[in-house]
Amino acid sequence: MSRPKSMIPVGNRPILEYIVEALVSNGVKDIIMVVGYRKDTIMLHFQDGKRFGASIEYVVQDKPLGTAHALALAGPLLDGKPFITVAGDNMIDSRLIADLLEKRNGLTMVVAESDNPSKYGVVEIEGDRIVGLVEKPECMIGNIINTGIYHFPYQMIEMFMSQTFGKELGITQLLSKAIPEMDMRVVKSKGQWNDAVYPWDLVNVNAQALDDISQGIMGTVEPGVTLKGPVNVGAGTRIRSGCYIEGPVTIGEGCDIGPNVVIHPSTSIGNGVQIEPFSYIAHCLIMSNVIIGSHSHISRSVIGDGVRSKAGLFIPSDSCIVRADREVFQLFDVGAHVGQDTVIGSRVVISPGTVVGAGCRINDGVRVSGNLENKCVVV
Amino acid sequence: MAVDILLDGLKRLEYRGYDSVGVAIASEGLKVFKDKGEMSKIEPLIPRWNGQMGIGHTRWATCGRPSKENAHPFVDCTGRIALVHNGIIENHLELRKQLEEEGHTFTSETDTEVLVHLMEHYYDGDAHATLRAALSRVKGSYAVAAMVEGDGHIVVARKENPLVIGVGVGENMVASDVTAVLGLTNKVVYIQEGESAIVSADGISIFDAQGSTVDRQPTPITWTVEDAEKGGFEHFMLKEIYEQPAAIHNSLLGSLDEIYAGAVIPDIDVSSVKLVACGTSYHAAMVGKYVIEDLARLPTTVELASEYRYSPGTGECPFTVLLTQSGETADTLAAAREARRRGCRTLAVTNVVGSTISREVDHVFYTNAGPEIGVAATKTFTTQLIAMYLLGLRLGAMRQTIDRTKVRHLSTELRSMPRYVSGVLDRASQIEEVVEMLVDARDIFYLGRNINYPTMLEGALKLKEISYIHAEGYAAGELKHGPLALLDASTPVVAACVNDHTREKMLGNISEVAARDSPVLGIGVEGDRELAAITDAMIGVPRVPPILSPVPLTVVLQLIAYYVAKKKGCSIDKPRNLAKSVTVE
Repeated sequence: MSRPKSMIPVGNRPILEYIVEALVSNGVKDIIMVVGYRKDTIMLHFQDGKRFGASIEYVVQDKPLGTAHALALAGPLLDGKPFITVAGDNMIDSRLIADLLEKRNGLTMVVAESDNPSKYGVVEIEGDRIVGLVEKPECMIGNIINTGIYHFPYQMIEMFMSQTFGKELGITQLLSKAIPEMDMRVVKSKGQWNDAVYPWDLVNVNAQALDDISQGIMGTVEPGVTLKGPVNVGAGTRIRSGCYIEGPVTIGEGCDIGPNVVIHPSTSIGNGVQIEPFSYIAHCLIMSNVIIGSHSHISRSVIGDGVRSKAGLFIPSDSCIVRADREVFQLFDVGAHVGQDTVIGSRVVISPGTVVGAGCRINDGVRVSGNLENKCVVV
Repeated sequence: MAVDILLDGLKRLEYRGYDSVGVAIASEGLKVFKDKGEMSKIEPLIPRWNGQMGIGHTRWATCGRPSKENAHPFVDCTGRIALVHNGIIENHLELRKQLEEEGHTFTSETDTEVLVHLMEHYYDGDAHATLRAALSRVKGSYAVAAMVEGDGHIVVARKENPLVIGVGVGENMVASDVTAVLGLTNKVVYIQEGESAIVSADGISIFDAQGSTVDRQPTPITWTVEDAEKGGFEHFMLKEIYEQPAAIHNSLLGSLDEIYAGAVIPDIDVSSVKLVACGTSYHAAMVGKYVIEDLARLPTTVELASEYRYSPGTGECPFTVLLTQSGETADTLAAAREARRRGCRTLAVTNVVGSTISREVDHVFYTNAGPEIGVAATKTFTTQLIAMYLLGLRLGAMRQTIDRTKVRHLSTELRSMPRYVSGVLDRASQIEEVVEMLVDARDIFYLGRNINYPTMLEGALKLKEISYIHAEGYAAGELKHGPLALLDASTPVVAACVNDHTREKMLGNISEVAARDSPVLGIGVEGDRELAAITDAMIGVPRVPPILSPVPLTVVLQLIAYYVAKKKGCSIDKPRNLAKSVTVE
């Protein structure tokens, strides 16, 4: 991927930007970002943070040695102050940070309830004190899970900085040993927390982000276009005659849409996207520099950067059963996920629940279902 | 304090010169400090005088070697007038002789010093009138700022050198480039050719060449101070390489639509095209020649600005396109004037809104790449290439030498260009490893054919500029007419080979090179097994139509130059002896 997960755009803004906003709106303005893969995309977007009302410093983690190592790297910049840790790729809102800051006893963890606790660290509590922490438990021990969002007093950093890091080590792994001796309290928040682990989560996170957009037209809307509800059109974008767009929809800069394209809520479209005539798009997250051929139908799907399709791409949404991470999910109404730079021929049908990897080539007239690894060729 | 603002501004201007630094502050008389060396070395030595007004300078030596004595500001014999200057005073020897005969003592070898003594000579209590009188004696070019002890203002004037005034609240700033005042204000007034001005904390008066007052509203600037800061990147050059997807996106924004609508170039009768530029822009112009000839079938010539301006006119009147990133390059400005004198219709391709060249030509295309601080041009080059494609498409569509389908196809591919470039950036770590084969070389050849011949010239220039390795770009077909004699196991070759009609020939040339034991680094379309088989290492780029291949290839070449220079420990953003926009001839 040429985007780290934290830079995946929801509502045309990277996930990480929502986190920075949530922090800044609670007065947390000194932010240290530990960056690694394609760090340039993060640094170019946030720069020194001034644009977001923050002051951002960067620490580079060259090897994927885990979150505990990342925290140890940031240690020298902490300046003796208490600190909050947040994963850069989890959607949160300002309420959650407000709830975390309200408990002032210094050592706290934000927890959430989950239907699927085996994916997370499960927390055992007595009152509001944490007595146990089990990472990805194999049997059901509870549904209270760790969100990975902590408030630490400064002294805690020593525990991380004194480690030697040979292989990947997470914050939770390190804490779970020490937790019985620590007085760590839980914070239950009504704020938003979504770690969007599965592709089908993304369209909903995207829809949520689009909930409060307002109308804004910078580009050119030709006569004969119908815009309903809040629709955003970026500079240099042309919406050609006969398009019918029902918000919330946000369209980036330099796109060429139509003529006669229908876009239904809640959809976001990145920069430099071209959607050819007579296509129908609903409830989708379409990233940048995508080309969608004429007469296509795409519903409840995520289309990665640089995907190009010829005429007649069909990705309908429906209920389906999907296998992922050795688990089976019964999903109500989902489309597909198409990885970046995949090239798709004409008259291709991609079944609901399919995950197509990055850089695949799908030839004309094929029907695709199940999962495709990166760089597959489908004939 | 004035001194802090000055030093901050000078740091932002370091890309225009950095062999010596100096400031003069009005603080109970005039205090001056100057020395030879880079800003970072001198800054801690500069006393923090209390004072609300001052002038400062970073120098790129033209007349007189870099030394403490030759650093600006200069003061007159009485120590009451201080002055800084960009440009060249052509008749300084003659003036110096006269002034010395009158008893003035010179302390430097520079041409600038005559200005301060001329001011002393004419001084009558009115600094502005004195500066104008002094300048009436000189031949040459200048942007000059001077202040007199006890005055509450700075006087400035310009001729053929850029000068802007930053309009603040309760303060005003003068600078040779907008970047110096970013962060203090977002409103500037551009001083134009032949004008002078009086600038104080609470007012600006501008005068034309005749001395009458000029009324001019400030122009808002959209660049932000973050654009001119490294923001976590190790070097400006690396940041600017990574900014290219966004820069190309911005460069295309709106212009894809507009260019066909004739907003940039109206429907005109063109029978031939001439592209004129210097340095890196010249390489963009050479790519432009292939593009325009291919798409618009117009005879196109390319000339260096410094040659064009002294060449005889041939009676032909080609559509003349001038490429200059800064819009201030002295040779290109002179070429623009010469082209108009010859009666040619002119188009400028520049990155700086409001720059001098935009007023010297009939039409302007702005590349919108944002400020570029690294001396080695990166994003401003690739956006110039985008301008060449748009120009070729427009001329082709106008002359109906390409059909609608092809225009649409190429527009679509251009729109996807940010994505292709991002695909190249994904390979940065592979490139970092591969360049190991180039680091210890003394000479390197860069080979290409057709439209990628100029691409390789640019690649070689990048390497020369920042790694100090001798690199030569060569048209692969010319190899047998000379350079083949220079190849051996210690001379690596970087070769570009894409899927165009010269591919077979290029593969042949690479085999010839490999047969002389030269290590070959191939750059081609990803998955090209044939190329991989005959080269020692290969870097793949995303497949694009061959005519557009210079863009992704250039990004590979930039990263090659960057990583070689980094491994050699070179000063990447400030290569020795080079400055960014050269406003001297």
